Amino acid sequence: MTGFADSADPLVLALAVGIPWALAAALSLFDGRKRWVGWVAVAGLGATLAALARLAVLVVGGDRVEMTAGGWPEEVGITLRADALGATFALVSVGVIFASLLYEVLGGVRSRTFPALVLFMAAGLTGLFLTGDVFNFYVFFEVSMTAAYVLASYREQDHQVRAAFIFAVINLLGSVVFLIGVAALYHVTGSLDMATIAERIDPVQPNSVIVIAAAIFVAFSLKLGLFPFHFWLPAVYVGSHPPVAAILSGALANIGSYGLLRFGGGLLPRELELGSAAVLVLGTASIIYGAVQAISRRDTSEVLAYSAIGQAGYILVALGVGGPVGYAAAVLYAVVNSLNKGLLFLAAGLRGPLVGAAFAVGAFSVAGVPPAAGFLGKVALFESSLAAGTVPASVALVVLIFLGSALSFVYSFQIYQRRFWAPKPDDLGDRGKPSPVAPRVLVVLLAALALGVGLWPEPLLSLSEAAADVLAGGP
Amino acid sequence: MILAVSLAISAIFGSGVFLLLQRDLLRVVVGIVFVSNSAILFVIAAGLSRGDAPIYPLPEGGLLGAGTSDPLVQAMALTAIVISFSTAALLLGLVYRLYAAHRTVDVEDISEAETREAEALEKDGDLGEPEREEEPQGKPAEVELGEETR
Repeated sequence: MTGFADSADPLVLALAVGIPWALAAALSLFDGRKRWVGWVAVAGLGATLAALARLAVLVVGGDRVEMTAGGWPEEVGITLRADALGATFALVSVGVIFASLLYEVLGGVRSRTFPALVLFMAAGLTGLFLTGDVFNFYVFFEVSMTAAYVLASYREQDHQVRAAFIFAVINLLGSVVFLIGVAALYHVTGSLDMATIAERIDPVQPNSVIVIAAAIFVAFSLKLGLFPFHFWLPAVYVGSHPPVAAILSGALANIGSYGLLRFGGGLLPRELELGSAAVLVLGTASIIYGAVQAISRRDTSEVLAYSAIGQAGYILVALGVGGPVGYAAAVLYAVVNSLNKGLLFLAAGLRGPLVGAAFAVGAFSVAGVPPAAGFLGKVALFESSLAAGTVPASVALVVLIFLGSALSFVYSFQIYQRRFWAPKPDDLGDRGKPSPVAPRVLVVLLAALALGVGLWPEPLLSLSEAAADVLAGGP
Repeated sequence: MILAVSLAISAIFGSGVFLLLQRDLLRVVVGIVFVSNSAILFVIAAGLSRGDAPIYPLPEGGLLGAGTSDPLVQAMALTAIVISFSTAALLLGLVYRLYAAHRTVDVEDISEAETREAEALEKDGDLGEPEREEEPQGKPAEVELGEETR
């Protein structure tokens, strides 16, 4: 158990997990529509973000920060463990949640529970990205999912409530499958600690572990919305409130990518290698299906929902290639994708000067046009497909990624054209009115961030490489 | 013992899945409760061992001479029970919300009613352009907010 560089480090870790928890519990007692409640939530989430940024700086060199909760001796108590993989995902997810919360607070919160729910979601996400215990992972995962079920019915339209119900039922089924996987892992290894499981899983009979791996794969694919498990996803995103859609797509979906990386790459690498063909095929199917469906839809949120299915496919393909290059590409792509999705969903909810430009940056980023951040993701994917063993496989993957990018270019600009070019403002009457300045500035800042990451990629690249090293070297 | 437990788990899981596939939303909720409970049983089965109750301080020498039983699975099962009952409550809340709006818990009736409402809206407002789909969503939410503030 290495990594105690400084005695203050575990405190940073505890703060990152603890602040959103405490605030969420406190703020759920107040009416979230009051301005000060919203701003307190923003401030708390900002502090969490600062703590996570500090953690990311600490762990990028390959260190890890650990603490055992509740003062229990090591190996007995639940371990909180921040390494480069978890810290990267936590930083990005909380970043997207922070932007969405700020957007909603600037535009006026409409539900009394919104700030507290968003904080609960942030608490669950930071917890699950920074825990070193599989059952603890399940608990945090349920916390954030439960917040998501309520958020999905945010405006309480009938069709939203129905979509939220379906969302909740499908994802609860996924959680149950995951819980069964966790119990089975405990049964075969006698431990819940991720590092111990990774050590003890090797001598276990492969045919029992492959079943566990399949259960865990199904559970996370459901969360991520991969092709055969995607059916709930469009219904939830269509007509949902922009910040909620941004949170679901930019932050919550990261559970799926992180889970696949952590459990597939970190705990069960042998099984992932065994199933890599299936993973690649599913990823390919996701990319094609998502892109084709996205092109055929007209409604902006529906296009973005299908686009999310397609983008999840790229992460799966990178995971299927595996190895340090593939893992780094998967991490990088997941990070860039959540940034894109946050930006696009938030920008799609606004209108007025500069919003179109911000949306265009997001659309360029999804299509992978330099200098937007998405270009980095695409380059990393090309690199990983070149590392894919045989020449035919590499060629097929490069063609697939190229095709997928071309299709995503088409659908991104279809929605751009429909939303920001087509009618003159005065034809729209009420809707022609530009949105308030503050959310527009926020969206422009997000777009600038997407461009900035693309222009100065070193921090993100080193983070994703450090994350891949964590997986390659065991958790 | 293993056979009995696994039979019980599969029976509960199977009936849960059967209920999940029904059109009645209440049955769907009951199905989810069944499925979660089968998973909880599975958690307990994952560390099933015979021994003393793992309550501190442990009895001298042990009553059964087989050590203590595994406390970890019990802790996990308790946590999972709490999670499953809170999500079941949330689901019931959503079902009630739908029932209050449509006076039915049959998913097909609800979606039919929604289609009828959408068609009625389309006739009233002549919502030809897809661009304007968002408009009828914004307004009623504000009205609802007014009701909530009472």
